[in-house]
Amino acid sequence: MKLSELLQAVEAEVLWSDPAHDATDVANVISSDLMSDVLMMDAEQPLLLSSLVSDQSLRTANVVGAVALVVANGKIPPPNMVELAQELGITLARTEMAKFEASVALGKALGR
Amino acid sequence: MEPLQLTAEQSPLLFLELLYKLRVRDVMAKDLVTIARSATMRDLKRLMQERKVSGVPVVENKRLYGIVSIEDLIQALEKNRMDAPVSEFMAPNAVTVEENMPLSIVMSYFNKYDYRRFPVLNASNEPVGIITARSINSRLLMELFRELARIENQYVLPVDDNATCYFKTYRIQKADFDNAGKASTEIKNVLRDRGIAAKTIRRVAIAAYELEINLAVHSDGGTLTFRADEDEIQIVSKDQGPGIADVSLAMKEGWTTANEWVKAMGFGAGMGLPNAKRVADEFHIASALGVGTNVTARFILPKAVPTPPASLPTAAVPGA
Ligand SMILES: Nc1ncnc2c1ncn2[C@@H]1O[C@H](COP(=O)(O)OP(=O)(O)OP(=O)(O)O)[C@@H](O)[C@H]1O
Ligand SMILES: [Mg+2]
Repeated sequence: MKLSELLQAVEAEVLWSDPAHDATDVANVISSDLMSDVLMMDAEQPLLLSSLVSDQSLRTANVVGAVALVVANGKIPPPNMVELAQELGITLARTEMAKFEASVALGKALGR
Repeated sequence: MEPLQLTAEQSPLLFLELLYKLRVRDVMAKDLVTIARSATMRDLKRLMQERKVSGVPVVENKRLYGIVSIEDLIQALEKNRMDAPVSEFMAPNAVTVEENMPLSIVMSYFNKYDYRRFPVLNASNEPVGIITARSINSRLLMELFRELARIENQYVLPVDDNATCYFKTYRIQKADFDNAGKASTEIKNVLRDRGIAAKTIRRVAIAAYELEINLAVHSDGGTLTFRADEDEIQIVSKDQGPGIADVSLAMKEGWTTANEWVKAMGFGAGMGLPNAKRVADEFHIASALGVGTNVTARFILPKAVPTPPASLPTAAVPGA
């Protein structure tokens, strides 16, 4: 599924995105607030969903080669996080949905 | 104070360079505490207690009249003259330094004069700060620290003309969450530029990141060293404390000593070390309480294989 479609599925507000990412095919979602758990997953080009707002969630996303980080629970990433997303080339978005709700929405969108 | 034995013949060049490079204005305390001539010795006592200083320049209208120290205060106390004006007890001819002087000259002043502080004047002879052994110490330590870190980071292994080896050491500060992870990001970029396979990059980045975060959250600060050769990649984490009491316990999945603060940042699942071990081809950890922790993760790179002729069918690899 296209990244842009997945972002729509959680009614995400995009804070920074690489235009090239919109058409990227995303087949995996990792939903977690535990960075080491994320680092344990073997998913190709995942979308990372987390309720954590920190540079570390972006850096973790970068390490696992994620295309996008979606921040759940209506949290608002600060400007420096948006800058870091740009530096790392990771699409950064936020959603008002709770993490669980957003996980379900993404799962449905992917037909799981 | 014991005279500082700093002679040009004995000091390392880098240190001398520092003494000449740093100016008084870089080193002085700028939040100058001053007192007027007409203030009483009792006022002085209160001021010294409040501001925790042991010497106060006597200043009025940006002009320096002298300096009054804790020794003068003791004199006043002994003579029971706490209501006398500061002007009676101050040393009127304070030895001053100029803000543009190199630090090396001030060091010689400390040896030449028996004073523990020198008021600093700008070009218009206005007092702008004060220089003490303490202000010099802290600044010098900071500069030396920075310089050492720079040297450490600059240290690139001399290699042959083919220059295929890359080596870099990063200093990771304790509890520095803003910068933790930067080294791993850079390592990832270097590997990409070297044309390493994406899967390998990911494994190395995972190990580097886990070890880097461990340095920031569990150690007193340390170094992360990255070395990439033609046939292998190494990530080495080193710190000098506090060390791990039971390494086999620390290697167990889920075992952690992380506090609530670390957990709030998304770490502390107790998975980092096992994960770093999982992704590495070789993994070593050695640690002792009060000594520190060393972790090495090695990744063996496949020998460059000649690409098979196009006519040969390639087997489909699931998930590749
Ligand atoms: N450099 C270090 N210095 C001191 N103790 C360490 C160091 N690295 C790890 N430890 C100890 O080993 C434990 C396990 O480390 P590990 O990386 O596996 O998990 P964690 O850091 O606690 O959590 P996670 O990595 O999942 O975020 C830590 O909780 C800590 O007690
Ligand atoms: Mg860890």
